[in-house]
Amino acid sequence: MMGFSFRINSSLVQALAVSALALSIAGCGTSVERIDTAEVKDLSGAWNDTDSRLVSEEMIQDVLSRDWLPEFTRKYSKKPAVIVGEVLNLSHEHVNVNTFTADMERALINSGKVQFVASRNERGEVREERKDQDIHAAEATRKPMGQERGADYMLKGTINTIIDTSGSSQVRYYQVDLTFISLADNVKVWVGQKKIKKLVKRGNLRY
Amino acid sequence: MRARRAKLIFPLATLVLLCSGCASYSDSFSVIESDMAAQRFGAALETLERQRHPKRDQLLYLLNKAMLERMNGDYAASNRTFEAAKAGMEELRGLSLREQGQSLLINDATRSYAGEEFEQVLVHLYMALNYLQLGERIDARVEALQVDERLREITQRLPENRYTEDALARYLTGMIYEEFGERSDAMIAYRKAYEAYRRYGQNYSVAVPESLKHDLLRLSQQMGLTGEMQQYRKEFRIERWMSADELTEQGELIFLLHNGLAPIRREHAVTVPDPASGHFVRIALPYYESRPTPVDGARVTAGGTSASAEVAEDIRAIALKDLETKMPAITARALARAVLKAQMAKAARENARQQNQNNAGAAVAAMAVEIAGLVTERADTRSWLTLPSRIHLARLPLPPGTYTVKVDLLGDDGQIVSTQEYANMDIRRGAKTWLSPHWIPSTVTPPRRSQ
Repeated sequence: MMGFSFRINSSLVQALAVSALALSIAGCGTSVERIDTAEVKDLSGAWNDTDSRLVSEEMIQDVLSRDWLPEFTRKYSKKPAVIVGEVLNLSHEHVNVNTFTADMERALINSGKVQFVASRNERGEVREERKDQDIHAAEATRKPMGQERGADYMLKGTINTIIDTSGSSQVRYYQVDLTFISLADNVKVWVGQKKIKKLVKRGNLRY
Repeated sequence: MRARRAKLIFPLATLVLLCSGCASYSDSFSVIESDMAAQRFGAALETLERQRHPKRDQLLYLLNKAMLERMNGDYAASNRTFEAAKAGMEELRGLSLREQGQSLLINDATRSYAGEEFEQVLVHLYMALNYLQLGERIDARVEALQVDERLREITQRLPENRYTEDALARYLTGMIYEEFGERSDAMIAYRKAYEAYRRYGQNYSVAVPESLKHDLLRLSQQMGLTGEMQQYRKEFRIERWMSADELTEQGELIFLLHNGLAPIRREHAVTVPDPASGHFVRIALPYYESRPTPVDGARVTAGGTSASAEVAEDIRAIALKDLETKMPAITARALARAVLKAQMAKAARENARQQNQNNAGAAVAAMAVEIAGLVTERADTRSWLTLPSRIHLARLPLPPGTYTVKVDLLGDDGQIVSTQEYANMDIRRGAKTWLSPHWIPSTVTPPRRSQ
């Protein structure tokens, strides 16, 4: 009686139900895959871990191979002490600059040629602890105030970007400049630079 | 007859179920609105969290949440949510053929909401204000650069007569650059803001703020752009202004009042019988309904000096104009939908007629197609509902120190509607202190049913 149209309908309904089920299964369940930190995974074209790593690799390699380091050691027969200053993010994105400054700090300390002193943000707690020691710690283990090692150089820098967009294509250019400034006389003893350029193409269609 | 009626119940019930999903978006907002009016932003947030948000309205949920978090004073959380909203907007950039098809078959509200252009720009503005409130100037500057990028993208995409510039966003970016000492960037931003305000004058009857005139004069003088300065002097008829040196000796309070709530979209639908076939055709279109606010201006007083806040952005006017320019496309889609739905109903009726005359199933199916076509015809009433109606701006240069700032909210004939005090506002030398409260009147529009 109502055979034909309904048979089609029911097979259609079945097909729809199956595809809906397939879609919902594909959509559910969190999947986690561990990947190597060196693996390049670009998702949106924005600043990511790979950029940070490229910057720190380049900077570390450069800063350790330049003349300022042996010159300082020869002149003062001690390792230079460096303090991490502000790396100004003048880019289009909210970039976390701590990742590559921390990378640099670690590599320089591990090289055994440079010392780092606690930065402005870190030393507050240390000073408080010293003040506390003054009252509570035993004489033999008490660390006196006013004995901090003053830094010889300050690490400062900027991140700048130029973005050029046309339609769905975009060129993103990043330039990271880092410099060591002598605290004694404001002389810049080292300037490192890393440039990164990406072409991002956005799809004009989505699901 | 009874058997037939019984058979009708099933498809009708299905339709009712379907329809509960397409109840107009703006109607579901009245509870949150009354929470906001009572200044219970935490409760409004909870209500928002309790509501269901289909994937296509995810962006709206994030925008409203971020704004409520901001009103609640949780600027850091607000920016995290805004950042998620930005990522959502980025994802929705491309054209979805599936959604286009759905919008032609069902209605416009089945598409993912990607935000109107002005809403997208205002995300950056509010993020910048949040960062400034938190004292994170570098991040505010990042937002300033993103405003520039966003507006450039919109200008490329849209024709002249549309919303392609945002005067307040430009003005704010200028202030951010100037505070960083980036005078040339600031000058460019102020110039663009001035240009945009002149267009605002024509489109939304918003005048160029007096403070911007002073900024232009001060900065052009400081940069040695004498010709430009003389021209501004003639245009603005201002002979005395605070020089850059005088200003850096002082601090400055920047006051932004986010006044009222942006207009809300309602649905206007007509159902008419098609004279040719005798069957019904329905067309539903959105329109904006204003949510009036009794506050028309504000006076900011601190340390014996006061300044009156001027309208710096009329979101209500921008929204109205924006919908007006989009209306032809929306109407065309609604008409195409009506034609398509009528065709489908007709095809189903033909099908039923071709089958056995007693085939009740086919007749019911045909009727269901027709009813579904009518019932699913809804207007897209989605918009960012926690936006203010207007933003007023005042700049107050003050000697460094700690102040109690008094804000008088003024009605349309200058009477004081409400007075608020903000204690312990630190004004630092050569720096800007930001104060940007929201004011939502307690008399909100009563919840109403769309027809």
